[in-house]
Amino acid sequence: MSKPVVEVDSLIKQYEKLKAVDDISFQVFEGEVFAFLGPNGAGKTTTVEILECIRPLTSRSARVFGYDVTKKDEAKEIKKRIGVLPQEFSALDKLTVKENIDLIGDMYDKHLDVTDVIKLLDLEDKTNERFENLSGGLKQRVGVAAALISDPQLVFLDEPTTGLDPKARREVWAVIENLKKLDKTVFLTTHYMEEAQILADRVAIIDKGKIVVIGSPQELISQHGGLKMLVIRKGDKELASMLQEKYGQTTLNGAGDVLVKIDDVNEFWRVMATLTEMKMNKDIEIQTPTIEDVFLKVVGARITDEGELKK
Amino acid sequence: MRAYTIFKAVTKNWIRSRSGLFFSILFPVLLLLVFGTIFGGIGGSSRSNIFVQNLDRNTSNGKPTDLSTAFIEALNETETFAIKDVPPDANATSYARNALGPLGGNMRILIISQGFQEDLLNGTLKVRVGISYSTLNMSYQYFEPHLNDTQKAAYQQGLDQMQQFDASLPERQASLTVMLDQSDQSAAIIKNIIASIASAFNYQLIGAKNVVQLNETSVTTTQFSNIDFYLPGVTAAFIMTNGIIALTANTTEFKRRGIIKRFSITPLSKTDWILGNVLSQTLLNLMLTAIMIALGWLIFNVRVIPDALSLLLIFLGSIMFSGIGMTLSGLVKDVEAASAIGNAIAFPMMFLSGTYFPLEITPSYIQTIAKVLPLTYFSEGLRYAMIYKYPEGIYTNMAIVATLAVAFIIIGSLLTRWQEK
Repeated sequence: MSKPVVEVDSLIKQYEKLKAVDDISFQVFEGEVFAFLGPNGAGKTTTVEILECIRPLTSRSARVFGYDVTKKDEAKEIKKRIGVLPQEFSALDKLTVKENIDLIGDMYDKHLDVTDVIKLLDLEDKTNERFENLSGGLKQRVGVAAALISDPQLVFLDEPTTGLDPKARREVWAVIENLKKLDKTVFLTTHYMEEAQILADRVAIIDKGKIVVIGSPQELISQHGGLKMLVIRKGDKELASMLQEKYGQTTLNGAGDVLVKIDDVNEFWRVMATLTEMKMNKDIEIQTPTIEDVFLKVVGARITDEGELKK
Repeated sequence: MRAYTIFKAVTKNWIRSRSGLFFSILFPVLLLLVFGTIFGGIGGSSRSNIFVQNLDRNTSNGKPTDLSTAFIEALNETETFAIKDVPPDANATSYARNALGPLGGNMRILIISQGFQEDLLNGTLKVRVGISYSTLNMSYQYFEPHLNDTQKAAYQQGLDQMQQFDASLPERQASLTVMLDQSDQSAAIIKNIIASIASAFNYQLIGAKNVVQLNETSVTTTQFSNIDFYLPGVTAAFIMTNGIIALTANTTEFKRRGIIKRFSITPLSKTDWILGNVLSQTLLNLMLTAIMIALGWLIFNVRVIPDALSLLLIFLGSIMFSGIGMTLSGLVKDVEAASAIGNAIAFPMMFLSGTYFPLEITPSYIQTIAKVLPLTYFSEGLRYAMIYKYPEGIYTNMAIVATLAVAFIIIGSLLTRWQEK
């Protein structure tokens, strides 16, 4: 396994009576995309800002590249090595895309050529466009460009697609996938299940300041996602009763679809054989569990598009 | 170096902002133009209007008499009045009202009565005869013990004849009528000027000389106009608004939008961020001063020249008001509150610090308030530096401004959050 670039040990952040981060421990390894998945107020941004050295912790330790985030001199070393896309990124409105990226670059002792970064983010057409005239998706891309200009080893992307339309969201995903190809370590926070599942090598589900589960999406799904589901479109009550009697774990949903949970491939083929015998001419599909199912299982609720928990 | 990068970026961002440019530069310039037009004599004479109806005419040709003409010329030579002639056959009040038009203005009318010259000459002759009689009589009293009877009789006869001549002359006084508005604040001054001219006429005609001479010397080395005195005040006031209103609003907006947080994540230090912003404010204020003075030179012919001390004071003033702006933005969270607080502080300060009118004419409680306002010392210092060149006034005010600049920059820096809670 690669060496850890982030090491968090029993981290606590307390605000008077509120414990925003409640005794969490995890590691982020070099070259991976690590996602913090959780609803608003779960403690994602607080944790990330502690790691970015702009928010003090209450107790225990957090290290980035082996440097202690609480020590002023070491924080300087951390800041030199990280790139950050903060939540709701903004820049100087009247400056152009190039000027804004260049400005952030000039804050570092050395930085990449701004033209190369603009090219990497596919922003060439907008190089001389003022920041104020850009769409939400383009602004986020400028934010990612600003995060990459210092050629950081670790990139924090805090809710990079929040508030973006689906097209802009996919554009940002493409950028993150590109970062993966560049062997950057990416620390992503999100409340979008799909985003975490598609982009992350490992996901930590966080709720009320605590990490509930942590692992690769596949591990989490296999451990907590439940069984695969055979969906028979536009079935009926009789079919559902018959399959229930034969295989169990069968339900009829509101849309009239018959859902059969299947334990393994053998059971799948047995169900299919039964349907073939009945000469049933229905649309059939297999639904595999997702991170959303994992989340529902471990947290007991879903997350809305706005990032709120919904029971 | 990073402070310089921030300075360049923030300045560029400001220069490209139309609203920023308007409120920081154009608005003060417009105000200067308004002040200059009112006080600097642009668009007409700065003299007070006065309508003069000369009824004293020669019966032979109907032309004004020599003495009435001389009186009007003397009035004109005071350079106080813009004299408007009223025809002798017109009703002076109606004529003046029509001439002033719908916008009105103060009605000031001087009527030189018919017979002004004749009455003046007769009155003067009677005064001269009276003075001669009195002088001779005093001489007679003095020399009487040394005169014989014949000489006494001759003297006495001469005095009697002179007395008879004096008695034969009519008691005449030349008449001038001055009509002024009750509400005219200049009424007393105008009345005094006309009375002074009349007295001068009296002295001249009786051949008297002034034994008391009034010597007038300006306390300034150069001849300055009103606009010269307003220019440092207006400049100081807008350097103050740029710091307290504009910087407060901008910094709060940067904070709200997470721009300050974005920079705090980089290796940029808080000191560099503050320095860059303060330098940008200073440049803006130097530009403002340069534009105001250039316009003053071109349009109003102002003579104030900012020297090294003035520039140093502007630099210190910029730092002081930037510090106040940073302090305020550190205390408030949203832009609306920042603007409201900035305006609530800046506008009263602008009018209570003696920038637009001398504090000496204000009530004592306003003078007390002015003493605790930073703008008082900044505008006073700037006026001393740019006009009076009075070292004690410059250095005292500069010391106060420098102390406040250091204090507010320290407070502002402490309140500028470079780390979240």
